[in-house]
Formats: sequence, C-alpha cells, structure tokens
Amino acid sequence: MLPWNYGFAWNTGHILFLGAFYTVLVIIATTVVSALWRSRRSLRAHQTEEIRWHSDFHDLPAADRVCRHVLTGEFKKRECPHAFDCRECETHAKLIERHPLTVIAGPDEDVFGMDFPLDRYYHRGHTWARLEDDGTVTVGLDDLGRRLLGAPDSLELPMPGDHLTANGTAFNIRKRGAKVRVLSPIDGEVLAVDGPAGQWRLRVKPDSTDERAFRHLLRGPEVKPWLMREMERLQLALTAEGAVPTLADGGEPVSDISASYPGTDWDAVCGKMFLEG
Amino acid sequence: MANAMSDQADKELISRGLKRCSTPRFVLWMLPWVALLIFGLYAAGLCLVKGLNQTNMDNRFAFGLWIFLDLTVIALGAGAFFTGFLVYILKLRELRAVINSAVVIGLVCYSGAVAVLMVDVGQPLRAWFTFWYPNVHSMLTEVTFCITCYLTVLAIEYLPIVLKNRKLREVPAFLVFEFQLHKLTYVLAGVGTFLSFFHQGSLGGLYGVLRGRPFAFREGFFVWPSIFFLFIISAAAVGPSFILLTTCLVQKISRKRLVRVEVLRLLGRISGLMLAVYVLAKTVDTLIWINRTSPERGFPASQYYSWNPFGTWILFAEIVLFGLVPALVLLTPRLRARTGWLVAAAAMACGGVALNRFVMTVQTLALPTLSFDRFLSYAPSWQETGTFLAVVAYGVLVYSFSFRYFRLFPDERELQAAVPPTDTREADPILAGRY
Amino acid sequence: MTNPNKPVKAARYGMAIDIDRCTGCGACMVACAVENNVPPAHAGANDRKGITWIRVYKVDNGGDGDGRRSAFVPVLCQQCGNETPCVHVCPQQAVDVDPATGIVGQMPERCLGCRYCMAACPYHARYFNWWDPAWPAGMEKTFNPDVAPRMRGVVEKCNFCHGRWHAARQQATAEGKPDTEPVAYLPACAEACPTQAISFGDLNDEAGVTAAAARGRDSFRLLEKLDTDPKIHYISKREWVRRIADAPRPGDGKESRRG
Repeated sequence: MLPWNYGFAWNTGHILFLGAFYTVLVIIATTVVSALWRSRRSLRAHQTEEIRWHSDFHDLPAADRVCRHVLTGEFKKRECPHAFDCRECETHAKLIERHPLTVIAGPDEDVFGMDFPLDRYYHRGHTWARLEDDGTVTVGLDDLGRRLLGAPDSLELPMPGDHLTANGTAFNIRKRGAKVRVLSPIDGEVLAVDGPAGQWRLRVKPDSTDERAFRHLLRGPEVKPWLMREMERLQLALTAEGAVPTLADGGEPVSDISASYPGTDWDAVCGKMFLEG
Repeated sequence: MANAMSDQADKELISRGLKRCSTPRFVLWMLPWVALLIFGLYAAGLCLVKGLNQTNMDNRFAFGLWIFLDLTVIALGAGAFFTGFLVYILKLRELRAVINSAVVIGLVCYSGAVAVLMVDVGQPLRAWFTFWYPNVHSMLTEVTFCITCYLTVLAIEYLPIVLKNRKLREVPAFLVFEFQLHKLTYVLAGVGTFLSFFHQGSLGGLYGVLRGRPFAFREGFFVWPSIFFLFIISAAAVGPSFILLTTCLVQKISRKRLVRVEVLRLLGRISGLMLAVYVLAKTVDTLIWINRTSPERGFPASQYYSWNPFGTWILFAEIVLFGLVPALVLLTPRLRARTGWLVAAAAMACGGVALNRFVMTVQTLALPTLSFDRFLSYAPSWQETGTFLAVVAYGVLVYSFSFRYFRLFPDERELQAAVPPTDTREADPILAGRY
Repeated sequence: MTNPNKPVKAARYGMAIDIDRCTGCGACMVACAVENNVPPAHAGANDRKGITWIRVYKVDNGGDGDGRRSAFVPVLCQQCGNETPCVHVCPQQAVDVDPATGIVGQMPERCLGCRYCMAACPYHARYFNWWDPAWPAGMEKTFNPDVAPRMRGVVEKCNFCHGRWHAARQQATAEGKPDTEPVAYLPACAEACPTQAISFGDLNDEAGVTAAAARGRDSFRLLEKLDTDPKIHYISKREWVRRIADAPRPGDGKESRRG
C-alpha cells in the first residue's frame, strides 16, 4: 500500500493498481470536500433561501413550471429555465421590449368572485407587491391564497430587520396538518408587520426600486389568464387529493376552502398551489 | 393523546402528498423483520465467537453458501451502477423514476455482502491487511479495494436521498449540502461505473484465474480471464431486471402505482439486450472452454457433468433456459407489453445469474481435481442460513424505512392521481393501480 | 526471508516418494503433526475438517476380487514452482516462495482466513483452522518449541519443516560453512518413514539421491498438465499407479479410508 512497507517493490502492476486506487479515492474525496466547501460558502453568503427555492422548483412537475408567456399565449409550450426568475431571462427581456407591460390602475379583476386589484404586482406563489410612494413596498397574500389558508392554525411571520429573498420564504403557515411556506415576491428588508389578523401585510424596504427588481412579477393583462390556470390547477389538486369536483360549474370559492374539503390532504393541495412541491 | 401526537410527528417526516400507512401498521410490518434480523445476528454472532466450525464448510468446500450468495447479491445490486450510468452518463431521463430505489437496493446489497464477508473470513479484524499488503496480482485484492470504494460511493449517493427528507430539509446546512452534492452526482455515477466494471469483473476473475481448477479456469485477454467480462455483462443484464422485480414487488406490497409502466418496459428491454449479448458471449466462451482450455489442462470437459446431480442439464439451464429464453421474451415487444411476462422473464434472468454464480462457486469446489478425490456435497448449516437471512431482513428494513420517509419514486405523486390508465390492460391489477 | 541482495546458490528442495515402498502406515502423518504442533482434531471434526499437512491416500486399480491392487500415496503441499496458484491469489501476500529454498511459505500471522488459496490449490494441501487449537491437559509437554502454533481462522500447510531448515542453517553457520551454500536437512515425515519411501533433498543438486530419483524413468508428478511445476515427484514401476496423476475420471475416484 505504501512504499516503505517491507519488501515493497515498484513494478507495472503496482503502479497501475495503486495509481487507479488512489485516483479514485482522490476523486471521491474531492467531490465530497468540494460539495462541503460550496455549501459552506452558500451558507455564509445567505443563499439558503435561493437554494431552497431552486430545490423546490426542480421537484415541481413539468406542468407547474410553465413560462409566464405560455399563460398569455406567446408560447404554446415552454418550461421556465430560470426558476421563475425572469430578471435573468433574455427571452423575457426581448418580449417585453416588444410588448411592454405596466401596472395599470384599471378596474379590478373579478375572477370567480375573487378580488384581484390591478394596482399591484402578483407573484406566482400567490403573494402580491405594491410599490408605495415613499419607496417602500407592501407585500401581502392574494385573495386566493387567503381563501386557501383561511384562518391558519399558526403563523410564523418575519420580524422587522429580517431580509427577504425573491422566491424565498416570506412566512410559514400551519393549517390543518399542512405546513406551507409562502414565497416572497421581492428582495428587501422587512420594516414592519401590520394589518389585522387575516389581512397581514409586510412593509418592506426593497433592495432596489428599479423596474428590473419587479420584472419577474405578473401584472395587468397577465393576471387573469394566470388565475384561470390557477383555478384549473386547484381543481386538479383537489381531485388528485381525493376531493369530488365541485368547481366545474364556476361557483364562487368560499372564504375558507379547506373547510369545504375535510377529507382532502390539505398539505398536498397547499404545497401545490404555493409552489412548494 | 400521546399516540396521536407521535403519529402526527411521524406524519411530518413523510414527504408531502405521499400516502403512507399509519405508524402502528408500519411498526407491525417491521417487527417480524426485526425479529429475523435478531435471529440472524445471533447466528452470525455464534460464527464470530465460536469460530467457523459453526458452518458446514470444510477443507474441501472452503467456500459455501455465503460466497455464493455474496456473488449473487452483488450481481443483483449492479442495477445501482448501471442505472446511474444510464441516467447520468447516457442521459436516459426516464430511468430517473427508479434511480433512487436502485441506489437504496445497491447500498443494501453491497453493505449486506460486506457484512457477510466479515463473518466469512477467519480473522475479520485483519481485514485491513489487504489494504496494507496488497497483492496486485490477486483478483481478491482487486475485489476488496473496489467494493470498499464502491460502498463509499453508494453511501454518498444515498446521502442526498436521506437529506431530502421533509424534516431534515428544514435544516439549512443539510438543504444546501444536498443541493451542492446533487450537482456533482454525475461524477459519482462515473466513478461508480468505473469501480463496478472492475469489481463485477474481478468477482468472475476470482474463479477464472484458478489454474488448479480447470472447471473454472478460462483463458482471456491479458491478465483478465473471459469470465471477467462475462460477469460484467451478466451483472449489467440482471441489474435492470432486479430493479424491475423489486419495483413490481414494492408496488404490489404498497398497493400503489410507483412508476409508469413504460419505465418497466424500458428496464426489461435494456435487460433483454444485455442478456442476449451475454448469452452469445457465454456460448462462445463455453465452446472454447470445452474444446480447448479444459482438455489442454488434462481435464476433458465431459467428466465435469458426469457427477450427480450436476449433469449437462445445469449447463443447459444456465445458458438456455434461464439465459436465452428470458432474453428472447424481454426483447419481444408484444410479450414485454404484458406485465406478467415481463416480471417472469426478469425473475428468470435473475435466477440464471444466481445459477451461474452457484456453478462457479459451489460446483467448482464439488468437482474432484485429483483422480483419487471424490465428488463432494455440501449443505449449509442453520447458522449460515441464519446469517444470510439477517442480511435479507436488514435489506427489507432499510428499504421499508427509506420507502416510507424518503422519496424513492419521484413519479409516485403524479401517478396516484385518479387518472384512468391510457393502455388497454385495465384488467391487470398492477397497471390499473387498484386492488 | 533471506536478504534478496545477497547472491545465494538457490536450492530447490523437493521430494521423491516411492509409492511402491509406501505401506500406508501413517508414521509420516503422526511425525508431521508432532513436529509442527498440529492440534488434535476437535470432537466435532470429520475427515474434511481435520488438519493433516501430509495425508496418505489409498488408491486402487479398480479391479475386483483377485485383480484388485492397492497402493498408498502420501500427498502434501507440492511446493509448486511455476506461477504457484496459492501465492498468486492471496490478497495479503501471506504466502510467498522463498527464492533461496523454493519452499512455499505460509505466514499464519498475516492470513486473513479468506480461504481463497484453499480453493486455488488443486492438491487440497491446505488446511483451515476451523476451531481454536486445543490440546488435552499434559499434552503441552510434547510441543516443539521451534514451531509456533497457529490460531483459529487461518490457513496452514506443509512448509518442508522450515524450522529444521533454520536449525540446519544455524548449525552450518556455527560450523563456519559459507551461508550461500544450501544445507542438508530432513523434514519430520522423511525422517519417520520406516521404509524410507520419502526421499528429501535439493533437486538442484544433480548428484543427490532425490534429484536422481526424480529424473528417473518411473517418476511422475501429479496433474502435470496443469503446469504448476510441483517439487514432489512420485515413483512407481506400476503403470496403473502412474495414471493416478491424471485428471479424475467419473466413478473411479475413491477417497482413501486411511487418513
């Protein structure tokens, strides 16, 4: 094994065999050490939330990873290559150059009786972000999200001073055996948590108020097609988790959807809708 | 109340959306295997404490049940490296549906084999001698090095599966480490393939180099006897078959549909292809051995098969009945489309490889080499059987645990949705996912 | 181990065993066991689990009644010279061929007990310690102090009474003889044989009795075609005895009742 053993003599056989063995050991060790090293670096750089999201996104079924431009009909079929981070996406940049989208203060969207004001940006994880005049951003849960979660059993909100990452965790909720994390729409520092119970809002100082910081969020004419698809996904999720179809005829979802489906795996439904897999 | 709370805690360990049986029922399933494990550990303990006289091996039958089963189990566990190779190197994405399960099976097979080897040697505490004074001309040195390295690789490949557990994932260090390790899986798959190539081959080489046993001895290429290559091909052939078998078994026991049926058929097709190549190579090799290699060493091949009960039927069974027949079945799309045929052919392929390993280990030693020798027989003692049953129990326990708490089958969640099957084999309970 | 850098005149110790003289008395087996501190068989041992570094087999010509002829063949480690099977396969290099004497030496201290060498040996000359060695009370007085007993779980085999070779070597050095010359000594079995059927000597020594007998017309070796170059030559004038050296044929192999 080692040259100083009694009687050891280098010959071709030894060189080949021990060479191969040590090479393999080195490769294995390098792989593990390299993974550990990179992990340490990621943890130090506070990339945990980003990595958590990438990991979750990777495990989502293909149907849930469609590009936003499929929702608005620009593509027939396209899977998002950037984990819903359109800030990096060249295709998205090219498309909005041709057809810029703005937040318009038009009439509120009414989809299936739910309230979706158009004065804000929407995140595909069912949170919204509104840029206020004083440069802060208000973040909240959208109507569908509220109805899905109803009155949560427990809630873990961020503290003032906590940093939020776009597509990272905003808050954790427990509801009827479900443990869900709701995604944050933007990067920023939490200034305050306010609003009455059930209507909680976060006041966030964004890392940047540049248009680019909000590029990955849905707005204006994208909202309705997205919501239609979300209702389909909800329908599928409920059926998959054992519920009987009830939304097909276009009734209004109630304020606490989970209460209407006592037998369903609510954890699984919420996981699907809040993009946690 | 305490029960409900512990049930709830247990539920939080199970992946989101997967349905698993209740905790008490799971404990009930595990208990008999634990009992078997304890019995087996006692049998192994007897062998370690009292010595190998507890077995029925003797000076003429130096290798017995354990070595035969070790070789078989390592050949069956080859699915881990071969599937890894197909997924990460050849980019056959559909097999991602079974790669996790294959890794767990591989880990169980290899760690079980190594554990049995530790009991099988006379002085287990001297196991490090092989690393310190290696004989590079010996196939067994090669096997030892490779299997140790490969077990390490398998353990590292198992780690991401464990770390992706729902509760463990919440720990940031685990989450991040799993993510970084996953990015390098292809390196591990490559190393695993390289190592497996050599140790599967060397296990065959163990017998192929025995100049004193013309029944086993083969000529070959450079230092490697032909059996070296035959063992690699047969292991690659039987790996996918074993994964197919275990997946179907798990589907049956858990009463869930875990993989799309196309994945099973793909596994069957790959296995059939490799098996066909193997049968061809083996036939050529056997002919050379019968007509040249063995007679040149003074041992006419016919006399090997003149001792009861090992007549020529065993050669026929090994190559034709459990080799050619399953290969043909697995290569016929019409037969492959029917799960019954698929599973039967896979089982026969596995049986064929087990028979081949048996012939190489047991028949080699049973046959006389000196003219005043006798043909010998051997039957394992209960301690030997018990030790091996401990490995089986260990395997079932580890796999059951992994199946419950880790996501072994990524497609399970999609498949459990109540979608009607798209093919017409609705009468088949496994395909229909209903019982 | 001899120093590989010193030029030695290598000996090739071997044997010429005259089967026509062997009576099957088994004195060689007993002498070997006594010399080498081989433990008596354990209560549960059968003839396949006991340790007999040299073992006398009975063979016959397959005839019936008056036509039946028997002979006795002592088989021990053949000290193979060409690509020694057991040396080749040991994963720990616990066996080696001493270039100065040609003796295939087993190191029980390094043996792992994997028994691969036992599978490799076609002459079944290797034996495993299935039990802890145990001697009845009082028998420890019969121990040979020059030979270390082996522990449970290791393989052992004939080493041409290497301890006696060492003693002879020391004697030769004490007498002032140059240590590059091979020494003459007798292993226990050759010494004990009452008919002197076992002749032991340096096969490289052309003039020696053993080498001459080995060169003789009636000499043969077991399983010649395996090309292991064994150093044990058997001698018999009887044709049917010479054929025992061939590969087995179905039905005619009978293991001896003796030993």
